[in-house]
Amino acid sequence: MPEPVVQIRGLTKRYGDLVALGGVDLDIRAGEIFGLLGPNGAGKTTLISIVTGLARATAGEARVLGRDVVRDYRFTRRHVGLVPQEINFDPFFTVEESLRFQAGYFDVRLTEARLTELLTALDLTAKRHTSARALSGGMRRRLLIAKALVHEPKVLFLDEPTAGVDVELRRALWAYVRTLRDRGTTVVLTTHYLEEAEALADRIGIIDRGLLRLVEEKTALMARSGGRSLEEIYVELVGRKEAAAP
Amino acid sequence: MISLGFRTLLSKEIRRFLRVPGQTLATPLLTTTLYFIVFGVSIGHQLREVGGVPYARFIVPGLVLMGVVQNAYLNSASSLFVMKLQGTIVDVLVSPLSYAEMLGAFVLAAVVRGLLVGGITWAVAGIFTGFEVAHPLLALAVVTLAAVAFAAGGVASAIWAQTFEQVNFFPTFFILPLTFLGGVFFSVRMLSPGLAAVARANPVFYMVDGLRFAVLGSSDASPWAGAGLVFLLAAGALTAAYMLLRSGWRLRG
Repeated sequence: MPEPVVQIRGLTKRYGDLVALGGVDLDIRAGEIFGLLGPNGAGKTTLISIVTGLARATAGEARVLGRDVVRDYRFTRRHVGLVPQEINFDPFFTVEESLRFQAGYFDVRLTEARLTELLTALDLTAKRHTSARALSGGMRRRLLIAKALVHEPKVLFLDEPTAGVDVELRRALWAYVRTLRDRGTTVVLTTHYLEEAEALADRIGIIDRGLLRLVEEKTALMARSGGRSLEEIYVELVGRKEAAAP
Repeated sequence: MISLGFRTLLSKEIRRFLRVPGQTLATPLLTTTLYFIVFGVSIGHQLREVGGVPYARFIVPGLVLMGVVQNAYLNSASSLFVMKLQGTIVDVLVSPLSYAEMLGAFVLAAVVRGLLVGGITWAVAGIFTGFEVAHPLLALAVVTLAAVAFAAGGVASAIWAQTFEQVNFFPTFFILPLTFLGGVFFSVRMLSPGLAAVARANPVFYMVDGLRFAVLGSSDASPWAGAGLVFLLAAGALTAAYMLLRSGWRLRG
Protein backbone atom coordinates (compact mmCIF):
# COMPACT_ATOMS: atom_id res chain seq x y z
CA MET A 1 0.00 0.00 0.00
CA PRO A 2 1.47 3.40 -0.96
CA GLU A 3 2.55 5.78 1.81
CA PRO A 4 -0.19 8.24 2.76
CA VAL A 5 0.19 11.75 1.34
CA VAL A 6 -0.60 13.26 4.74
CA GLN A 7 0.17 11.48 8.01
CA ILE A 8 -1.08 12.90 11.28
CA ARG A 9 -0.02 11.33 14.57
CA GLY A 10 -1.16 12.37 18.03
CA LEU A 11 -1.88 15.88 16.83
CA THR A 12 -2.83 18.02 19.80
CA LYS A 13 -3.64 21.68 20.04
CA ARG A 14 -4.54 23.49 23.23
CA TYR A 15 -5.49 27.13 23.68
CA GLY A 16 -5.08 27.51 27.43
CA ASP A 17 -7.61 25.12 28.95
CA LEU A 18 -9.43 24.60 25.65
CA VAL A 19 -8.46 21.43 23.79
CA ALA A 20 -9.01 22.14 20.11
CA LEU A 21 -7.41 18.86 19.00
CA GLY A 22 -7.03 15.99 21.44
CA GLY A 23 -4.46 13.68 19.86
CA VAL A 24 -5.70 13.04 16.33
CA ASP A 25 -4.31 10.23 14.17
CA LEU A 26 -5.24 10.36 10.50
CA ASP A 27 -3.86 9.28 7.12
CA ILE A 28 -4.91 10.91 3.86
CA ARG A 29 -4.41 8.71 0.82
CA ALA A 30 -3.03 9.86 -2.51
CA GLY A 31 -5.64 10.91 -5.04
CA GLU A 32 -8.68 10.80 -2.77
CA ILE A 33 -11.22 13.39 -1.73
CA PHE A 34 -11.36 13.23 2.04
CA GLY A 35 -14.34 14.94 3.63
CA LEU A 36 -13.78 16.11 7.19
CA LEU A 37 -17.11 16.75 8.85
CA GLY A 38 -17.88 18.32 12.16
CA PRO A 39 -19.80 21.05 13.90
CA ASN A 40 -18.42 24.55 14.40
CA GLY A 41 -15.47 24.49 16.78
CA ALA A 42 -14.90 20.75 16.31
CA GLY A 43 -11.25 21.21 15.28
CA LYS A 44 -11.50 21.01 11.47
CA THR A 45 -9.83 24.35 10.74
CA THR A 46 -7.26 23.83 13.51
CA LEU A 47 -6.20 20.53 11.95
CA ILE A 48 -5.88 22.07 8.50
CA SER A 49 -4.07 25.10 9.89
CA ILE A 50 -1.39 22.94 11.52
CA VAL A 51 -0.74 20.94 8.34
CA THR A 52 -0.56 24.06 6.17
CA GLY A 53 1.62 26.03 8.60
CA LEU A 54 -0.93 28.56 9.84
CA ALA A 55 -0.87 27.17 13.38
CA ARG A 56 1.55 25.25 15.56
CA ALA A 57 0.71 22.01 17.27
CA THR A 58 1.03 21.68 21.02
CA ALA A 59 2.06 18.03 20.58
CA GLY A 60 2.15 15.36 17.91
CA GLU A 61 3.28 15.66 14.33
CA ALA A 62 2.02 16.09 10.81
CA ARG A 63 3.81 14.91 7.69
CA VAL A 64 3.23 15.72 4.03
CA LEU A 65 4.78 13.34 1.49
CA GLY A 66 6.73 11.82 4.37
CA ARG A 67 8.29 15.11 5.54
CA ASP A 68 7.59 16.92 8.78
CA VAL A 69 5.60 20.13 8.26
CA VAL A 70 7.68 22.05 10.82
CA ARG A 71 11.22 20.83 10.19
CA ASP A 72 10.84 20.57 6.39
CA TYR A 73 8.32 23.39 5.93
CA ARG A 74 9.92 24.64 2.73
CA PHE A 75 9.41 21.24 1.11
CA THR A 76 5.94 20.49 2.48
CA ARG A 77 4.47 23.91 1.74
CA ARG A 78 5.54 23.68 -1.91
CA HIS A 79 3.23 20.67 -2.19
CA VAL A 80 0.27 21.99 -0.24
CA GLY A 81 -2.43 24.44 -1.29
CA LEU A 82 -4.96 26.05 1.03
CA VAL A 83 -8.28 27.69 0.33
CA PRO A 84 -9.02 29.40 3.63
CA GLN A 85 -12.48 29.65 5.09
CA GLU A 86 -12.51 33.44 5.19
CA ILE A 87 -12.42 35.24 1.86
CA ASN A 88 -9.40 37.50 1.59
CA PHE A 89 -8.19 39.69 -1.24
CA ASP A 90 -5.70 42.46 -1.79
CA PRO A 91 -7.61 45.49 -3.12
CA PHE A 92 -4.46 47.00 -4.63
CA PHE A 93 -4.07 44.33 -7.29
CA THR A 94 -5.85 42.71 -10.22
CA VAL A 95 -6.75 39.03 -10.55
CA GLU A 96 -3.69 38.38 -12.72
CA GLU A 97 -1.34 40.24 -10.38
CA SER A 98 -2.71 38.37 -7.36
CA LEU A 99 -2.06 35.05 -9.09
CA ARG A 100 1.44 36.05 -10.22
CA PHE A 101 2.38 37.15 -6.70
CA GLN A 102 1.03 33.96 -5.17
CA ALA A 103 2.99 31.84 -7.64
CA GLY A 104 6.12 33.86 -6.89
CA TYR A 105 5.84 33.26 -3.14
CA PHE A 106 6.11 29.55 -3.98
CA ASP A 107 9.17 30.16 -6.19
CA VAL A 108 7.10 29.40 -9.28
CA ARG A 109 7.17 31.56 -12.39
CA LEU A 110 3.58 31.58 -13.65
CA THR A 111 3.50 30.75 -17.34
CA GLU A 112 0.92 32.24 -19.65
CA ALA A 113 -0.41 28.74 -20.35
CA ARG A 114 -0.91 27.95 -16.65
CA LEU A 115 -2.47 31.36 -16.01
CA THR A 116 -4.91 30.87 -18.89
CA GLU A 117 -5.73 27.38 -17.68
CA LEU A 118 -6.55 28.59 -14.17
CA LEU A 119 -8.56 31.58 -15.35
CA THR A 120 -10.54 29.37 -17.69
CA ALA A 121 -11.13 26.61 -15.15
CA LEU A 122 -12.43 29.06 -12.58
CA ASP A 123 -14.34 31.24 -15.03
CA LEU A 124 -12.22 34.31 -14.32
CA THR A 125 -10.92 35.00 -17.82
CA ALA A 126 -13.07 38.09 -18.28
CA LYS A 127 -11.85 39.41 -14.92
CA ARG A 128 -8.13 38.92 -15.58
CA HIS A 129 -7.36 42.66 -15.40
CA THR A 130 -10.07 43.52 -12.88
CA SER A 131 -9.12 44.69 -9.40
CA ALA A 132 -9.92 42.09 -6.72
CA ARG A 133 -11.85 44.89 -5.00
CA ALA A 134 -14.35 44.92 -7.89
CA LEU A 135 -15.09 41.18 -7.84
CA SER A 136 -18.30 39.69 -6.49
CA GLY A 137 -18.18 37.38 -3.46
CA GLY A 138 -18.37 34.28 -5.66
CA MET A 139 -15.58 35.51 -7.91
CA ARG A 140 -13.39 36.26 -4.90
CA ARG A 141 -14.00 32.70 -3.72
CA ARG A 142 -12.91 31.43 -7.16
CA LEU A 143 -9.83 33.65 -7.04
CA LEU A 144 -8.94 32.09 -3.68
CA ILE A 145 -9.11 28.64 -5.25
CA ALA A 146 -7.01 29.75 -8.21
CA LYS A 147 -4.40 31.16 -5.81
CA ALA A 148 -4.28 27.89 -3.88
CA LEU A 149 -3.70 25.95 -7.12
CA VAL A 150 -1.23 28.28 -8.76
CA HIS A 151 1.82 26.22 -7.72
CA GLU A 152 0.15 22.92 -8.67
CA PRO A 153 0.03 21.42 -5.16
CA LYS A 154 -0.19 17.68 -4.65
CA VAL A 155 -2.56 18.18 -1.71
CA LEU A 156 -5.30 20.79 -1.70
CA PHE A 157 -7.04 21.78 1.54
CA LEU A 158 -10.44 23.35 1.09
CA ASP A 159 -11.74 24.83 4.34
CA GLU A 160 -15.52 25.24 4.03
CA PRO A 161 -15.18 26.20 0.35
CA THR A 162 -18.87 26.60 -0.36
CA ALA A 163 -19.92 28.43 2.79
CA GLY A 164 -22.27 31.20 1.68
CA VAL A 165 -22.03 30.59 -2.07
CA ASP A 166 -25.03 30.17 -4.38
CA VAL A 167 -26.19 26.82 -5.75
CA GLU A 168 -24.78 27.38 -9.24
CA LEU A 169 -21.29 28.18 -8.00
CA ARG A 170 -21.42 25.34 -5.48
CA ARG A 171 -22.18 22.83 -8.23
CA ALA A 172 -19.43 24.30 -10.42
CA LEU A 173 -16.91 24.04 -7.57
CA TRP A 174 -17.91 20.44 -6.89
CA ALA A 175 -17.33 19.60 -10.54
CA TYR A 176 -13.93 21.28 -10.45
CA VAL A 177 -12.91 19.45 -7.27
CA ARG A 178 -13.75 16.14 -8.97
CA THR A 179 -11.65 17.20 -11.99
CA LEU A 180 -8.71 17.95 -9.71
CA ARG A 181 -9.05 14.57 -8.03
CA ASP A 182 -9.19 12.86 -11.42
CA ARG A 183 -5.95 14.59 -12.37
CA GLY A 184 -4.26 13.19 -9.27
CA THR A 185 -4.60 16.00 -6.74
CA THR A 186 -5.45 14.84 -3.24
CA VAL A 187 -8.26 16.95 -1.80
CA VAL A 188 -9.07 17.43 1.88
CA LEU A 189 -12.39 19.16 2.28
CA THR A 190 -13.85 20.42 5.51
CA THR A 191 -17.52 21.13 5.53
CA HIS A 192 -20.53 21.07 7.73
CA TYR A 193 -22.79 20.61 4.72
CA LEU A 194 -23.49 16.88 4.82
CA GLU A 195 -24.84 16.91 1.27
CA GLU A 196 -21.49 18.23 0.10
CA ALA A 197 -19.54 15.45 1.78
CA GLU A 198 -21.99 12.87 0.47
CA ALA A 199 -21.66 14.19 -3.09
CA LEU A 200 -17.89 14.62 -3.18
CA ALA A 201 -15.95 12.59 -0.66
CA ASP A 202 -14.37 9.19 -1.25
CA ARG A 203 -13.76 8.83 2.48
CA ILE A 204 -15.35 10.62 5.37
CA GLY A 205 -14.01 11.60 8.76
CA ILE A 206 -16.20 12.97 11.52
CA ILE A 207 -14.53 15.13 14.14
CA ASP A 208 -16.11 16.50 17.28
CA ARG A 209 -14.61 18.32 20.26
CA GLY A 210 -11.11 17.76 18.89
CA LEU A 211 -11.47 13.97 18.50
CA LEU A 212 -11.97 11.90 15.37
CA ARG A 213 -15.14 9.88 15.91
CA LEU A 214 -15.10 8.01 12.61
CA VAL A 215 -13.03 7.55 9.47
CA GLU A 216 -14.49 5.33 6.76
CA GLU A 217 -14.99 4.88 3.04
CA LYS A 218 -18.16 6.69 2.15
CA THR A 219 -19.62 3.76 0.19
CA ALA A 220 -18.85 1.30 3.00
CA LEU A 221 -20.30 3.68 5.56
CA MET A 222 -23.50 4.12 3.60
CA ALA A 223 -23.74 0.35 2.91
CA ARG A 224 -23.47 -0.67 6.56
CA SER A 225 -25.74 2.09 7.79
CA GLY A 226 -28.81 0.15 6.77
CA GLY A 227 -30.32 2.80 4.57
CA ARG A 228 -29.76 5.63 6.99
CA SER A 229 -28.59 8.94 5.55
CA LEU A 230 -25.21 10.49 6.33
CA GLU A 231 -27.09 13.07 8.34
CA GLU A 232 -28.54 10.39 10.64
CA ILE A 233 -25.11 8.79 11.12
CA TYR A 234 -23.63 12.20 11.84
CA VAL A 235 -26.27 13.08 14.42
CA GLU A 236 -25.79 9.71 16.11
CA LEU A 237 -22.03 10.26 16.42
CA VAL A 238 -21.94 13.94 17.22
CA GLY A 239 -25.07 13.88 19.31
CA ARG A 240 -26.53 17.01 17.87
CA LYS A 241 -27.67 18.22 14.50
CA GLU A 242 -25.65 21.27 13.75
CA ALA A 243 -24.75 20.63 10.16
CA ALA A 244 -27.27 21.94 7.72
CA ALA A 245 -28.09 21.03 4.19
CA PRO A 246 -26.94 23.74 1.78
CA MET B 1 20.96 33.11 -3.68
CA ILE B 2 18.04 35.54 -3.66
CA SER B 3 14.88 33.49 -4.05
CA LEU B 4 12.01 34.27 -6.40
CA GLY B 5 9.72 34.25 -3.35
CA PHE B 6 11.70 37.06 -1.69
CA ARG B 7 11.84 39.09 -4.91
CA THR B 8 8.11 38.62 -5.41
CA LEU B 9 7.18 39.81 -1.92
CA LEU B 10 9.57 42.75 -2.24
CA SER B 11 8.15 43.69 -5.62
CA LYS B 12 4.57 43.41 -4.32
CA GLU B 13 5.37 45.61 -1.34
CA ILE B 14 6.99 48.29 -3.49
CA ARG B 15 4.17 48.24 -6.03
CA ARG B 16 1.66 48.49 -3.19
CA PHE B 17 2.94 51.87 -2.03
CA LEU B 18 3.48 53.07 -5.59
CA ARG B 19 -0.22 52.40 -6.29
CA VAL B 20 -1.14 55.21 -3.89
CA PRO B 21 1.59 57.81 -4.52
CA GLY B 22 -0.55 60.67 -3.25
CA GLN B 23 -0.71 59.06 0.16
CA THR B 24 2.71 57.45 0.35
CA LEU B 25 4.97 59.93 -1.44
CA ALA B 26 3.24 63.26 -2.11
CA THR B 27 1.80 63.79 1.38
CA PRO B 28 5.07 63.34 3.28
CA LEU B 29 6.86 65.36 0.62
CA LEU B 30 4.37 68.22 1.02
CA THR B 31 4.65 68.12 4.81
CA THR B 32 8.43 68.23 4.93
CA THR B 33 8.54 70.84 2.17
CA LEU B 34 6.20 73.03 4.24
CA TYR B 35 8.48 72.59 7.26
CA PHE B 36 11.37 73.67 5.10
CA ILE B 37 9.57 76.72 3.72
CA VAL B 38 8.22 77.82 7.14
CA PHE B 39 11.26 77.10 9.32
CA GLY B 40 14.05 77.27 6.81
CA VAL B 41 13.18 79.90 4.26
CA SER B 42 10.77 82.20 6.15
CA ILE B 43 11.99 82.12 9.76
CA GLY B 44 15.49 81.13 8.69
CA HIS B 45 16.09 84.62 7.25
CA GLN B 46 15.59 86.05 10.75
CA LEU B 47 18.13 83.68 12.31
CA ARG B 48 21.86 83.91 12.23
CA GLU B 49 23.95 81.08 10.90
CA VAL B 50 24.27 77.88 12.91
CA GLY B 51 27.85 76.65 13.14
CA GLY B 52 28.76 78.77 10.12
CA VAL B 53 25.94 77.29 8.02
CA PRO B 54 22.83 79.23 6.91
CA TYR B 55 19.84 78.06 8.96
CA ALA B 56 17.85 76.92 5.90
CA ARG B 57 20.73 74.66 4.92
CA PHE B 58 21.29 73.56 8.51
CA ILE B 59 17.82 72.00 8.85
CA VAL B 60 17.85 70.06 5.54
CA PRO B 61 19.56 66.88 6.88
CA GLY B 62 17.11 66.70 9.78
CA LEU B 63 14.10 67.13 7.49
CA VAL B 64 15.42 64.44 5.17
CA LEU B 65 15.98 62.05 8.07
CA MET B 66 12.54 62.81 9.51
CA GLY B 67 10.90 61.92 6.17
CA VAL B 68 13.01 58.77 5.85
CA VAL B 69 12.31 57.30 9.28
CA GLN B 70 8.62 58.22 9.43
CA ASN B 71 7.90 56.72 6.02
CA ALA B 72 10.03 53.63 6.55
CA TYR B 73 8.10 52.91 9.75
CA LEU B 74 4.68 53.66 8.28
CA ASN B 75 5.24 51.50 5.21
CA SER B 76 6.12 48.27 6.96
CA ALA B 77 3.73 48.82 9.87
CA SER B 78 0.68 49.69 7.78
CA SER B 79 1.31 47.07 5.10
CA LEU B 80 1.77 44.16 7.49
CA PHE B 81 -1.05 45.27 9.76
CA VAL B 82 -3.49 45.62 6.86
CA MET B 83 -2.47 42.15 5.63
CA LYS B 84 -3.32 40.81 9.09
CA LEU B 85 -6.63 42.65 9.06
CA GLN B 86 -7.62 41.58 5.53
CA GLY B 87 -6.41 38.03 6.03
CA THR B 88 -4.01 38.21 3.08
CA ILE B 89 -1.15 37.45 5.48
CA VAL B 90 -2.31 33.83 5.03
CA ASP B 91 -0.96 33.92 1.45
CA VAL B 92 2.53 34.54 2.81
CA LEU B 93 2.33 32.34 5.90
CA VAL B 94 1.42 29.19 3.92
CA SER B 95 4.22 29.79 1.42
CA PRO B 96 7.75 28.36 1.69
CA LEU B 97 9.18 31.84 2.42
CA SER B 98 11.52 31.83 5.41
CA TYR B 99 11.17 34.35 8.24
CA ALA B 100 14.35 36.09 7.10
CA GLU B 101 12.95 36.44 3.57
CA MET B 102 9.64 37.83 4.85
CA LEU B 103 11.37 40.32 7.14
CA GLY B 104 13.89 41.27 4.46
CA ALA B 105 11.17 41.99 1.91
CA PHE B 106 9.04 44.10 4.26
CA VAL B 107 12.05 46.04 5.54
CA LEU B 108 13.65 46.60 2.15
CA ALA B 109 10.40 47.86 0.59
CA ALA B 110 9.99 50.26 3.51
CA VAL B 111 13.58 51.44 3.11
CA VAL B 112 12.90 52.12 -0.59
CA ARG B 113 9.89 54.27 0.31
CA GLY B 114 11.84 56.07 3.05
CA LEU B 115 14.75 56.80 0.72
CA LEU B 116 12.39 57.97 -2.04
CA VAL B 117 10.72 60.46 0.30
CA GLY B 118 14.09 61.52 1.74
CA GLY B 119 15.61 61.86 -1.72
CA ILE B 120 12.76 63.98 -3.05
CA THR B 121 12.84 66.16 0.09
CA TRP B 122 16.58 66.68 -0.36
CA ALA B 123 16.09 67.51 -4.05
CA VAL B 124 13.40 70.13 -3.28
CA ALA B 125 15.48 71.68 -0.49
CA GLY B 126 18.54 71.60 -2.72
CA ILE B 127 16.87 74.01 -5.14
CA PHE B 128 17.03 76.63 -2.36
CA THR B 129 20.20 75.65 -0.51
CA GLY B 130 22.39 73.80 -3.00
CA PHE B 131 23.20 70.15 -3.56
CA GLU B 132 26.64 69.85 -1.97
CA VAL B 133 27.17 66.79 0.20
CA ALA B 134 30.43 66.57 2.16
CA HIS B 135 30.47 62.77 2.58
CA PRO B 136 27.94 61.17 0.18
CA LEU B 137 28.64 57.53 1.11
CA LEU B 138 28.33 58.24 4.83
CA ALA B 139 25.08 60.14 4.18
CA LEU B 140 23.67 57.17 2.29
CA ALA B 141 24.80 54.77 5.03
CA VAL B 142 23.21 56.84 7.83
CA VAL B 143 19.82 57.28 6.12
CA THR B 144 19.74 53.64 5.02
CA LEU B 145 20.56 52.30 8.49
CA ALA B 146 18.06 54.69 10.10
CA ALA B 147 15.42 53.52 7.62
CA VAL B 148 16.23 49.87 8.37
CA ALA B 149 15.89 50.50 12.13
CA PHE B 150 12.48 52.15 11.79
CA ALA B 151 11.22 49.73 9.12
CA ALA B 152 12.05 46.78 11.39
CA GLY B 153 10.34 48.62 14.23
CA GLY B 154 7.29 48.95 11.97
CA VAL B 155 7.25 45.19 11.38
CA ALA B 156 7.45 44.52 15.12
CA SER B 157 4.67 46.98 15.95
CA ALA B 158 2.41 45.57 13.19
CA ILE B 159 2.81 42.09 14.67
CA TRP B 160 1.92 43.46 18.12
CA ALA B 161 -0.93 45.73 17.01
CA GLN B 162 -4.53 44.58 16.99
CA THR B 163 -6.14 47.93 16.17
CA PHE B 164 -5.31 50.88 13.91
CA GLU B 165 -4.94 52.98 17.06
CA GLN B 166 -2.11 50.72 18.22
CA VAL B 167 -0.40 50.98 14.81
CA ASN B 168 -0.45 54.78 15.20
CA PHE B 169 0.76 54.66 18.80
CA PHE B 170 4.49 54.61 18.04
CA PRO B 171 4.55 57.28 15.31
CA THR B 172 2.42 59.62 17.44
CA PHE B 173 3.96 59.15 20.85
CA PHE B 174 7.54 58.14 20.04
CA ILE B 175 8.70 58.87 16.51
CA LEU B 176 7.23 62.37 16.20
CA PRO B 177 8.50 63.66 19.58
CA LEU B 178 11.89 61.97 19.17
CA THR B 179 12.42 63.47 15.71
CA PHE B 180 11.25 66.95 16.71
CA LEU B 181 13.40 66.86 19.85
CA GLY B 182 16.27 65.17 18.03
CA GLY B 183 17.83 68.35 16.70
CA VAL B 184 16.04 68.61 13.37
CA PHE B 185 15.46 72.34 13.86
CA PHE B 186 18.22 73.24 16.34
CA SER B 187 21.78 72.59 17.40
CA VAL B 188 22.36 71.34 20.94
CA ARG B 189 24.78 74.24 21.31
CA MET B 190 21.70 76.52 21.28
CA LEU B 191 20.27 74.70 24.34
CA SER B 192 20.88 75.06 28.05
CA PRO B 193 23.13 72.33 29.54
CA GLY B 194 20.09 70.53 31.00
CA LEU B 195 18.13 70.47 27.73
CA ALA B 196 21.28 69.56 25.81
CA ALA B 197 21.73 66.54 28.07
CA VAL B 198 18.12 65.50 27.35
CA ALA B 199 18.70 65.91 23.61
CA ARG B 200 21.86 63.79 23.83
CA ALA B 201 19.86 60.98 25.44
CA ASN B 202 17.68 60.83 22.32
CA PRO B 203 18.91 58.24 19.77
CA VAL B 204 17.36 60.19 16.89
CA PHE B 205 19.66 63.10 17.78
CA TYR B 206 22.65 60.98 16.77
CA MET B 207 20.99 59.99 13.50
CA VAL B 208 20.25 63.63 12.64
CA ASP B 209 23.69 64.69 13.79
CA GLY B 210 25.38 61.91 11.84
CA LEU B 211 23.56 62.88 8.67
CA ARG B 212 24.30 66.55 9.31
CA PHE B 213 28.01 65.72 9.49
CA ALA B 214 27.77 63.68 6.30
CA VAL B 215 25.99 66.49 4.43
CA LEU B 216 27.48 69.66 5.95
CA GLY B 217 30.81 68.39 7.25
CA SER B 218 30.19 69.58 10.83
CA SER B 219 28.24 68.18 13.75
CA ASP B 220 27.50 68.57 17.45
CA ALA B 221 28.63 65.08 18.51
CA SER B 222 31.13 62.61 17.15
CA PRO B 223 29.81 61.43 13.78
CA TRP B 224 31.33 58.01 14.37
CA ALA B 225 29.42 57.63 17.62
CA GLY B 226 26.26 58.49 15.67
CA ALA B 227 27.07 56.04 12.89
CA GLY B 228 27.84 53.35 15.46
CA LEU B 229 24.61 53.98 17.34
CA VAL B 230 22.43 53.90 14.23
CA PHE B 231 24.11 50.64 13.20
CA LEU B 232 23.39 49.12 16.62
CA LEU B 233 19.78 50.34 16.51
CA ALA B 234 19.25 48.83 13.07
CA ALA B 235 20.79 45.52 14.16
CA GLY B 236 18.74 45.49 17.38
CA ALA B 237 15.46 46.33 15.64
CA LEU B 238 16.07 43.70 12.95
CA THR B 239 16.83 41.07 15.57
CA ALA B 240 13.73 41.94 17.60
CA ALA B 241 11.47 41.89 14.53
CA TYR B 242 12.95 38.58 13.38
CA MET B 243 12.44 36.97 16.80
CA LEU B 244 8.84 38.19 16.93
CA LEU B 245 8.12 36.95 13.42
CA ARG B 246 9.70 33.60 14.18
CA SER B 247 7.78 33.21 17.45
CA GLY B 248 4.53 33.27 15.47
CA TRP B 249 2.98 35.50 18.14
CA ARG B 250 -0.27 37.03 16.85
CA LEU B 251 0.45 35.61 13.39
CA ARG B 252 0.29 31.84 13.62
CA GLY B 253 -2.31 30.27 15.90
